[in-house]
Amino acid sequence: MKKTVLSLLILTLSLMAGEADKIIKKVDENMRGENVSMEMTMKVVSHGHSRTIKMQSFSEGTEKSFTKILYPPKDRGITFLSLDNQMWQYVPKIERIIKIPPSMMLQNWMGSDITNDDMVKQSSLVDDYDAKVIQREDSIVTIELIPKEDAAVVWGKIVTNINTLNYTSVKDIFYDEDGLEVRYFIYKKVKKFGKYYIPTIWRVESVEKKDRYTEIILEDVKYDTEISKEYFKKSALKRFSR
Amino acid sequence: MTLRFQKSTSKKVLLKDFLGKSQMFSLALKNILFYKGRSVTTFFLTFVSTLLFIVYVSMTDGSHKSMLENALKIYTGAIEIYKKGYRDIGGNEYLIDDIATITKKLSKVEGIESFSSRYETYGLLSTDEYSSASMVAGIEPFKEKKISSISKALIEGKFLNENSQNCLYAGEGLVKRLKIKLNNEVAFIGGASDDSFAADIFRLCGIFKTGSFEFDSTVSFVARSYFDELMLSHNKASYITIKVDNLENVDNINRQITKMLNDDTLESLTWKTLMKTMVEAMEVDSIFGYISLALFLVVIFFVIMIYGFVNISSRIKEFGVLESIGLSNTNIMKLLFYEIFILTTLAILLVTPIASYICYYYSVNPIIIEGISDMYKDYGIVSDEIPFDFTPFTIFWNVILIYVLNILSVVYPYFYIRSFTPIEATRHV
Repeated sequence: MKKTVLSLLILTLSLMAGEADKIIKKVDENMRGENVSMEMTMKVVSHGHSRTIKMQSFSEGTEKSFTKILYPPKDRGITFLSLDNQMWQYVPKIERIIKIPPSMMLQNWMGSDITNDDMVKQSSLVDDYDAKVIQREDSIVTIELIPKEDAAVVWGKIVTNINTLNYTSVKDIFYDEDGLEVRYFIYKKVKKFGKYYIPTIWRVESVEKKDRYTEIILEDVKYDTEISKEYFKKSALKRFSR
Repeated sequence: MTLRFQKSTSKKVLLKDFLGKSQMFSLALKNILFYKGRSVTTFFLTFVSTLLFIVYVSMTDGSHKSMLENALKIYTGAIEIYKKGYRDIGGNEYLIDDIATITKKLSKVEGIESFSSRYETYGLLSTDEYSSASMVAGIEPFKEKKISSISKALIEGKFLNENSQNCLYAGEGLVKRLKIKLNNEVAFIGGASDDSFAADIFRLCGIFKTGSFEFDSTVSFVARSYFDELMLSHNKASYITIKVDNLENVDNINRQITKMLNDDTLESLTWKTLMKTMVEAMEVDSIFGYISLALFLVVIFFVIMIYGFVNISSRIKEFGVLESIGLSNTNIMKLLFYEIFILTTLAILLVTPIASYICYYYSVNPIIIEGISDMYKDYGIVSDEIPFDFTPFTIFWNVILIYVLNILSVVYPYFYIRSFTPIEATRHV
């Protein structure tokens, strides 16, 4: 009898883990498609002051992405390239391509609440974390993501709430290695582009900095189009900066 | 028989009357002169131990003060003013917005020797091949020279001046990481004070080495006049650093500053808070220092006590005779006390001026081990001076402690004498 109960328990847990992996993969597919290009408006609000940055982004799969700053004029032409979890940046003012070292990956990106690591490693939710369903409420499934032992990740744990009707994230909570909450990603206004669903408003809040948040609005989202391979070469940083 | 007893009793009464305090003192003095060898040795032991004790304490206290001053000289100020939240949370939201008003107020506070504002930011320094994260600090070079030893830590090139433009003054470790040489260019990218993107090309003008591995590997400086243009940080600062006339008045000056600022959004902190880790390290060092000092004192105590014990053992017959003619136990104790008191006082009267002079001399003229200042820099010490501390109160308690120890050293020999009856004592060989 005991063995049967134990076997059922293990089976249930493994099914739950398998289900969690499938949900995370579906969310990731929705976010990325085969490839995706979009324009984004990022608003950083801090102590009542706000700053807006507009950018254009191209990404292919989980390893390649290219971002170019369009606004404000002072920062226009700054480009970022992520390839195989590495990141480079081109700054027109000094005409230099700079590789962002691993020690800078937790630094804020462009003064926002997202980090360089966020720009590069979103894909690692699938590869670097063990997913487990911890709660269900109607269509919302809460999944706990614990880093795999050998994974080079910066978070101690991520808890994500996913709407299983369209497989989009509702809210992500990021924890540090001590299990303390560090920040939240809150996703709103889900839109359908072709066969993909994606929240078009992302709000990032830091637990420590109460008077501050970053809001990203996705615009002109295009999935599975022809994106030139040239965007994902180091030479693109300078070439597409203009 | 009765007559003999009456004679003996009357002799005792007479002797008791005769032997007052002053008489015991005279007897002690006579004993000291009679037992010359014993007296000279006790005097010598007390002299040497007091001299070593006072000088040791002075040197330990002096090195602690020097450690602190060195640490404060390198970069951290005796007092620093921050916007509340900067130290715990950080970021551009917690920069001091109006340094002109604050510095105007500071110039009225007594006890402040000099002050300067600093704008610190974390960014990336990069060459064609190598990159490294760095804390880049915009400093006022002229004022900084008065406040910190950053300029003195120069090992190659030159320190900054107000017109240094894009000159970078970087730590040795950082320079090694970036594999650059003097006059090489290095790209900087970071966030300006308004969170916009800041980037520039710096030129390496000087290299410093403070000895602090972490500091030398991560910190670099640029003149504020130039850096403010890049970081849009005019009239803003991460904090204001202050040097005081006298470190011992730091709490009082800090209270004056807090009162003068009269701003709840600002906090003025002394080195005791800013360098909590170092303060704790110094306390631990002091504990170990006092443990070794205690061992030293225990050795002194036992040497004097054992010597006194051996000496008194040879005088048991004498004490037996004194007891037989009516000397009370209290008077024996008094006799021993006076003997050690006179010898200790003589030794201390001679040694205290000598020890004080040594402490004073080396506090004014610190020991300088020439030629090893570079080696000292490896340990975070910019100065190669080893000063002593000259504090009369410290010398006073050192002397009192030696007195107490010497007096305690006659307690056991006294009880040893008391273990003999007068007859046993008179027969003791």
